[in-house]
Amino acid sequence: MFSVLSYGRIVARAVLGGLSQTDGRDYSLITASCGFGKDFRKGILKKGMCYGDDACFIARHKSADVLGVADGVGGWRDYGVDPSQFSATLMRTCERLVKEGRFTPSSPVGILTSGYYELLQNKVPLLGSSTACIVVLERRSHRIHTCNLGDSGFLVVRGGEVVHRSDEQQHYFNTPFQLSIAPPGAEGVVLSDSPEVSDSSSFDVQLGDIILTATDGLFDNMPDYMILQELKKLKNTNYDSIQQTARSIAEQAHELAYITDLVRVAPYLRFHRNENEAVRDRSTAHSVGTDSLADETSFRKTFNRQKLHKTVFNVRKLHNLGPLYIACLCNVYPSHPCFQYGIKPDEGLYQRISLGLFRLFGSGKS
Amino acid sequence: MFPMLTLLSMFYYICLRRRSRSGTRSEALGSRRAVELGQRSALPVTVEVEQYGKEVLDFSSHYGSENSMSYTMWNLAGVPNVYPSSGDFTQTAVFRTYGSWWEQCTSSAQRFRRTPPSFHSQDYLELAFEEPVYPTAVEVLETYHPGAVVKILACSLNPFSQNPPVDVRWEVLWAGKPNKALTPQARQFSPSIKQINFATNLLRLEVNSSLLEYYTELDAVILRGVRERPILALYKIPVIDINDLSDSEEEISEAGGLCCRSGGENRHNLGNGYFDRLPYELIQLIVSHLPVPDLCRLAQSCKLFHKHCCDPLQYIQLSLQPYWARLTDASLSHLLSRCTLLQRLNMSWTGNRGAVTAAGFCSFMKACGVSLVCLELSCCHFLNEACLEVIAQTCPCLQELNLASCDRLQPQAFNHIAKLTNLRRLVLYRTKVEQSAILSILTFCPELKHLNLGSCVMIEDYDVVASMLSARCRSLRSLDLWRCRNLSEHGLAELVLGCRLLEELDLGWCSTLQSSSGCFQHLARSLPRLRKLFLTANRTVCDSDLEELAANCSALEHLDILGTRMVSSASLRKLLQCCPQLKLLDVSFCSQVDSRLVQELSGLFPNVSIKKSFTQ
Repeated sequence: MFSVLSYGRIVARAVLGGLSQTDGRDYSLITASCGFGKDFRKGILKKGMCYGDDACFIARHKSADVLGVADGVGGWRDYGVDPSQFSATLMRTCERLVKEGRFTPSSPVGILTSGYYELLQNKVPLLGSSTACIVVLERRSHRIHTCNLGDSGFLVVRGGEVVHRSDEQQHYFNTPFQLSIAPPGAEGVVLSDSPEVSDSSSFDVQLGDIILTATDGLFDNMPDYMILQELKKLKNTNYDSIQQTARSIAEQAHELAYITDLVRVAPYLRFHRNENEAVRDRSTAHSVGTDSLADETSFRKTFNRQKLHKTVFNVRKLHNLGPLYIACLCNVYPSHPCFQYGIKPDEGLYQRISLGLFRLFGSGKS
Repeated sequence: MFPMLTLLSMFYYICLRRRSRSGTRSEALGSRRAVELGQRSALPVTVEVEQYGKEVLDFSSHYGSENSMSYTMWNLAGVPNVYPSSGDFTQTAVFRTYGSWWEQCTSSAQRFRRTPPSFHSQDYLELAFEEPVYPTAVEVLETYHPGAVVKILACSLNPFSQNPPVDVRWEVLWAGKPNKALTPQARQFSPSIKQINFATNLLRLEVNSSLLEYYTELDAVILRGVRERPILALYKIPVIDINDLSDSEEEISEAGGLCCRSGGENRHNLGNGYFDRLPYELIQLIVSHLPVPDLCRLAQSCKLFHKHCCDPLQYIQLSLQPYWARLTDASLSHLLSRCTLLQRLNMSWTGNRGAVTAAGFCSFMKACGVSLVCLELSCCHFLNEACLEVIAQTCPCLQELNLASCDRLQPQAFNHIAKLTNLRRLVLYRTKVEQSAILSILTFCPELKHLNLGSCVMIEDYDVVASMLSARCRSLRSLDLWRCRNLSEHGLAELVLGCRLLEELDLGWCSTLQSSSGCFQHLARSLPRLRKLFLTANRTVCDSDLEELAANCSALEHLDILGTRMVSSASLRKLLQCCPQLKLLDVSFCSQVDSRLVQELSGLFPNVSIKKSFTQ
């Protein structure tokens, strides 16, 4: 998935370095956001901070600064529902809640719950689902309160190291926890998680910390060390350099996830199947690395993206490959109405969120 | 010499005083200096301040839910969220009703006689701003179906001040007739307002949406004003405004004073002209057309009219709602002696901000409430438990009680209503009535015909209420359960089992009712007399529900199925064909119903007003 990225750096109101850690001043965030939707080629413009199916918001209130991202689940497109509507409306509603002060800074779950409740109060019959991640900076107490539902998340980086991160919440592969509004009659079938099952955390922050919230489009495509590399380049605390960094991270992730033609998975992956357990299905004996697509459609497992990175890079190292395209097909229970993915091999450009392709650059020919 | 000097200085002083009477001394000196220095120097600059609303303090109704920020009155504060876009958006302030649909229902109150033709207001809201200013302009940003604002008033009280003054004055800045704009598009409504002589930061808007096609929506109100009194007031000769005359509240209270004086005038036997020849009843008939303030003024004119105007027969119906701004405890006590035969009393909207106290109201009730049949007390925030206790004790014949939006009334106060066993009509919209109280009311008031429990958020289980209604209130004709979140199909089934005479049922925004349980079809089959059915925002209403309604409820007049995806044109056509009395059909946000279909159906069935709202 493509990412929405919002980005905050804590500075005290009266800038300039040398401030001690026992600073009594209120903290605030300097924020910037960037992202790409899958429809970028079509030039679809959406209002506000909406990138493809993902949406974000940044809102300020006198006691707190709040960031939020929501990733609309793309499977709804098959049912004629625009997945971005739900996430965008959810984020706009949360933004309004914060601006009007109808929230408690120490309880971002409350923002999510109220936001979800307000979605139900809309005359327009909204349908869809999305993940959500909300980060609240309480100005006075210098604490961050977070709430994450699904596979979006946040990172807190201090001194070039990740000090806090969110955990992914998934039911099964590519099916994150999600808030949803189902069509009538489908409530039992459509996944709908309550805001209460979200992960909450609270921790202190210091001046100069960098908070990065993003959807899984970033975290799936860009390994941590690359993100940290980009963040190291951020020297100033002004808006422009933060915007620049956000943009470069998003662009890199975008490139890494660039989707081209599906290519048969190379046989050498099968070769590695036994050695690299990372791509083995735990429950059945299926695994990535078969020739035909039909087998791959029955592939389902809990996917660990860090291990895939390792596998891919290991493969490259071992075999000095040319440009290699590995397709990771993630197809879940076909009976699940929201998540039926068909793979169309003749399609030039995939619109499905289930696909992430990694292009490796090697020295050989394709 | 010294007397001369004193005389001269006195003379000088008096001249200056006269000059500065209508302005401050510094302004007087400043303007004199300006005049002396010629045209080059400017008059003191008065800075115009522009403010958006800070807080909505009070209102009579709204469309949204009580803990929500969608379509609720609190959205009026702050900067506009929608304007200049038009459409039906959640971020606006929307009232509960529009048009004349609710007045057509039998559950509405009968109009009171003697309502002055200049009083059109159906709903109001009070909006406070940060800083008191002398208003120069008020702009209302209406974003959907504009034209509802009929009155703008300013209050002399600063609601945020720590020491509220005793004397609270409301001044009308602008008054107009209910209007309807040509298109439902957004507009900025800025009528020319009257200059007032006090600074205000509390505005009141009164609205009347009876001519509008759909709900009106307000986005923001801008108050423009100056901090110092406008300089023009210095040179302006105070005009005696006719409105000011009617503003003097002393007249109602003076009527009482006249009672004492009349005893001493027996000596003069001035002829009353031809009035002496007219029979008593005829003069009564003539006088019965006067509105209440005129009645009180006429009572002061001579003994004969005093006798007629104080006759209790003139006060069988009394509506004090149009005079909410002037009604005080003193007014009530002076009306006391005339209202002994009072049967219908409308004190809605009165008495707020300390004008009427609970004690004053209780003594009025004790004196005049014996024959009371109808009591309208909507938005009366002075009410407390003691008042309801007094009502319950002194008004045994009470049949209609309206406590809509009395949201400051404590929950235990409602227990007293159970003593009014003759109740036919009870409105508890937006009150804090609790489950135990409503259950005891239903137990002891079996004659209930009209019950409004809209937005009563403190009632936990509406299924229990429904089954009690079914058991005890068999003659129920109309039931308003707007936004009653936990009514389920079991409760509904029991309700329609017992209350067979139901004609009006409002189940808007009751999200727990699922059509798949068959509850709506069962409802249609059980209630052949149904005339009004609101299933607003129940996303499960489907074709088979409409078909059952078409088959069974031929008397249907109002139907609202906003927001469902499952209704198609075929069942709509069937319904329109089978329900010839249908007047209102709201299919807003029904995804299978587009504007082309609405146009077509409106052409085929011209008597039906088909509503399709849009968000743009």
